[in-house]
Amino acid sequence: MKNMTQRILRRLSPVIYFAAACLSLLLPFSASADAPTVLVHLDVNKASPRAVEEQTSRRILADYRFAWTNLARAVETDTIEPVRGQFVGSAGKWVAETIAAQQKAGLTSRHINQNHKLTATFYAPEGDVMELHDDAQFHLQVLDGSKLIYDQPVVMHYIVLMTPGADRWVIRQLQSVEKF
Amino acid sequence: MSWLTSTVWKIPRAGTLLLFVGACWVAPSAAQELRVPESAMAGQAAVISTNGSGHATFYLIGPGTSIKREINLGEDVHVAPESLEDSGQYLAIVCSESCGSATFYVQPSHPASLSFLVHPSRVPDNQPDAVSGVAFPFDHFGNLVLDPLAVTFQAAGPKEKLFAREVSTRDGVAWFRTASGKSVGPLHITASIGPVSSPRVIAQVASEPCNLRIKGQRTAKGILVETEPVHDCAGNPVADGTIVTFNASGDGEKSTVDAPIKGDVARALITDSGPVTISAASGVAMTNELRVGGK
Repeated sequence: MKNMTQRILRRLSPVIYFAAACLSLLLPFSASADAPTVLVHLDVNKASPRAVEEQTSRRILADYRFAWTNLARAVETDTIEPVRGQFVGSAGKWVAETIAAQQKAGLTSRHINQNHKLTATFYAPEGDVMELHDDAQFHLQVLDGSKLIYDQPVVMHYIVLMTPGADRWVIRQLQSVEKF
Repeated sequence: MSWLTSTVWKIPRAGTLLLFVGACWVAPSAAQELRVPESAMAGQAAVISTNGSGHATFYLIGPGTSIKREINLGEDVHVAPESLEDSGQYLAIVCSESCGSATFYVQPSHPASLSFLVHPSRVPDNQPDAVSGVAFPFDHFGNLVLDPLAVTFQAAGPKEKLFAREVSTRDGVAWFRTASGKSVGPLHITASIGPVSSPRVIAQVASEPCNLRIKGQRTAKGILVETEPVHDCAGNPVADGTIVTFNASGDGEKSTVDAPIKGDVARALITDSGPVTISAASGVAMTNELRVGGK
């Protein structure tokens, strides 16, 4: 009886492995089905006059990715809630105005498959502000109600100012430029 | 600039050619053509031209702006200054039977304010590279001005002019680092671009005590020991509240008394009755040894 069970299991094992592999491939998609894909790569080697510490680098990467994930959600749903506390100062005003203007015009926009190549160019001597350049690529869709009026892949260049907040780095300035 | 030239494509060359041929084939009948400004400045009106005839819907999407307006094709679309206050990329779209689009950039206006961060708020005197400042020029609408600008940094202490330096902004930022002055008191630091200036004041305080000396005498209650006026190495009186630690040793026993400086002098009462040797320390400075005989 024991031998038979072992034989069945041995025969089934490739199937089990295959099913497990399929499940592991599918899980990330199902888990993040409603979360926009945001990839961020950060290069801190050009930052000066202060060098960026490893821990700060990790924090910036995570907070920038989180901010863009939520910005995409905010402009897709025309609600300010997802970005509260992540964009402050000029950037906060800019995001709030964008969402309010979209609501008024009945527009929404989608930032799909975001890929950000972030380079830290300036890190203040006291570590209280960082300037970064973001070469961002994403697919931009603009909808008027349910009508798709724009659907293109775009490359954007952003000048970003980030400052440390109470528990995270926040975006203070997010300004698109023609080129760096 | 048509939407074909303004949209950025990330596809291989062969794909680009196919796309171009395809677009040329459909363009005359489908997409609307838009002419957007080649250069626009924040807070200034702009005109966008359209081709064709009939009714269409015009959209302008940019930082802080989303406009939807019904227009007649072939007429110019006037965009108000308040819709173009944020610098960055703007996307103009016109839709009738199909949609056409074009992008343009709004540049920051002239510098109207300086965001100026200075550290620290209190600095010991005579320290190398102890003061730093970072300045960001912004226009009237809060856009970071990215064109190189000459920022003049000036610092003046109560008795001396520390420095005046001109630094060009790079990607909208200029910074400096300098030594603190020799005298205590307010240190006025200013960053300016032409008539736009941003003043800051930090407190320059005395450094660690230097050449600490003590004197003392036996009284009825014990040994009253006190420092001579405590100064730092630049001769500035050390701030009240700075702790001086007095150590007394005699007859195999040791005692310690911490006393704050008050009016340039720290005082302590040592209650030892036998002969003692007293010394004091504050920061990295140590005093002479004072020997006092027994009662």
